[in-house]
Amino acid sequence: MNKQSRHETWFRMDNSGKIFPEVSSHRETNVFRVAISLTEKIDNVLLQQTVDTILARYPMFKVKLKKGLFWSYFDYNSKPFHVEELKHYVCGEISPKKNNGYLFRVMYRNTDIIIEMFHSLADGAGVIKFLKALTYEYLVLVGKDIKPDNLVPTKNQRPSMEEYEDANTKFYDKKNKKHVPEKRAYRIKGSPLSEDLTGIISGTMSTSRMIRLARENKMTITEYFAALMMYTIYITQIQYRGQIKSNQAPVKIFVPVNLRKHFPSNTLRNFSNFVKVGMVMTEDDISFEDLKIFVKEQFEKGMTKSELIRKMSENVKFEKNIFLRFTPYFLKKYALKIGYNMLGMKLNTMSLTNIGKVDFPESMQPFVFDVTAAVYAGKFNTVNCSIMSYQDRLKISFTRSIVETTIEREFFRHFTDLGIDVEIESNYVEEY
Amino acid sequence: MKYCDKCKITIDTFNSYCPLCQQVLEGEPSPDLIEKYPEYVSANRKIYPITKKIIMFVTIVSMIILLIINLASYNGNLWSLIPIGSIFFFWILISVGIFSRQNIAFRFVFLTFLLIGLLILIDEASLQIGWSYNYLMPILLSVCNLAISGIILIKRIDYRDYILYLLTIAILSLVPIILVFTGIITIVWPAITAFALAIFILLFIIFFFPKSIKDEIKKRFHA
Ligand SMILES: [Zn+2]
Repeated sequence: MNKQSRHETWFRMDNSGKIFPEVSSHRETNVFRVAISLTEKIDNVLLQQTVDTILARYPMFKVKLKKGLFWSYFDYNSKPFHVEELKHYVCGEISPKKNNGYLFRVMYRNTDIIIEMFHSLADGAGVIKFLKALTYEYLVLVGKDIKPDNLVPTKNQRPSMEEYEDANTKFYDKKNKKHVPEKRAYRIKGSPLSEDLTGIISGTMSTSRMIRLARENKMTITEYFAALMMYTIYITQIQYRGQIKSNQAPVKIFVPVNLRKHFPSNTLRNFSNFVKVGMVMTEDDISFEDLKIFVKEQFEKGMTKSELIRKMSENVKFEKNIFLRFTPYFLKKYALKIGYNMLGMKLNTMSLTNIGKVDFPESMQPFVFDVTAAVYAGKFNTVNCSIMSYQDRLKISFTRSIVETTIEREFFRHFTDLGIDVEIESNYVEEY
Repeated sequence: MKYCDKCKITIDTFNSYCPLCQQVLEGEPSPDLIEKYPEYVSANRKIYPITKKIIMFVTIVSMIILLIINLASYNGNLWSLIPIGSIFFFWILISVGIFSRQNIAFRFVFLTFLLIGLLILIDEASLQIGWSYNYLMPILLSVCNLAISGIILIKRIDYRDYILYLLTIAILSLVPIILVFTGIITIVWPAITAFALAIFILLFIIFFFPKSIKDEIKKRFHA
């Protein structure tokens, strides 16, 4: 696809990216954020220069969304990209018609560089690579004496075809694509914030302390957080209220899985899947201990290779369908939309994304303070959660589209009750 | 650093209360603190949709009134359809021509089609002397052809975005000449002019942008 000169590059959308343009709106933005705090104030002129360099190295991001007869696709974007000052919005809509057609933003504030990305273009792991490359080139431009140590891709490396591949179709197995029907999930209730604003509350804790805590429970960090999340939703929303009809829907936590860790691929584009833990929580006496056992079991089941391939193939089979493939796009998009509304969003109570730890070469470490990840919160998934860590700072960020913060409060109090220090950040959205 | 003694968390902020439990925080913010997130400044984006709503409301009400008057005094003539159709065209003209962020070449092609269709309808509904086929269709197609070629010449860097529309309109400019042979068009010179211009543009594309046009078609039609 990239054989022609740079000015003529275009990219097919990857399998999971195809759905997002049709189901995104002002309210359901499908945008996620990664941010990095450096130790010195950001120079916006140098940041702009850095982004321009990076875009030349990663043509995959220098694109706009266009519609073809059968599918939409990414086409080379000749317009300039502009970095902006951070506004109040968290993961606000990225409309293909604004922002010069770019499907991501780069913002700055004080010592922070913030990237917001439309999910069609890449997933968390892809953006982390972009963020690392950006940080490296920026620090070089500022005049720091740093080395990439093969931990960050630099502008001198040639783009490889592998970075753009749609890995989903590579591991597609047509014998293992059975669709497993699912029930609609419990929705976290609350009063919506005015003007579609998004609240963000992050808590920073010690990474090593968290690893120890998870180990004491013979769990991974993600499993521990997922279990705690279910417990928190249970005690704040459902316990002793099981007779109410809407509380009888299963609480389901959607946990994205980075498939690059399970299947060999270096793609920058969407290559993730998920594990889901779901349980009807109408009993009055569910304990945290019960949930730990339950979550561990569900993770073990969901993470087997054949189960991951099944979920991948379930999606890919849709685009392999010969009838659907040759349906014109303006009709196909309704099919995608209806399918997603009926199934996608409403099947999850909340998404819990663990981006994992970010490494930087030793020479860069003195200039990096910490990292933050966040995903949008919408009408159905009113509270979402993302985790990202760097060195001994593990940051859990809750985004929400509702005023209430009871889930965040109980979640963090669990750790302070264990005597673990938690440092909070908030955008105080309830002020407005 | 401030502290909430209920949640036992620390937070560095100028705000006075805990974001988790809304209790008053103890302690002072750091001396060199800059808030992590900026304050919200309302973008006033509500104004535009309201104006749009009012105009929409007025037009729909007037369309309904026109139709009611027409039906109340019905004498076998649905005259209200002409003003209603014109208002409708005007609406599409405004929303596609001015407010749409669609590709400008697309807007040209779209409005040209719409206008030709409307004019043919008016022509057919009134005297049926064929001025819409004879003059307006070839002239409008030529104007659209020239306009898109002009855009491509000026905005050279984006030419790939427009070339497919140019191809579409150039091919459609061959329609009047077909109509000459079927006898629908009786005045020949506008049709011939449009035909000559379209052939010139098609040859120009084929000779100078063969790869672009191939790429563009590949992109647009991949399945
Ligand atoms: Zn508190």
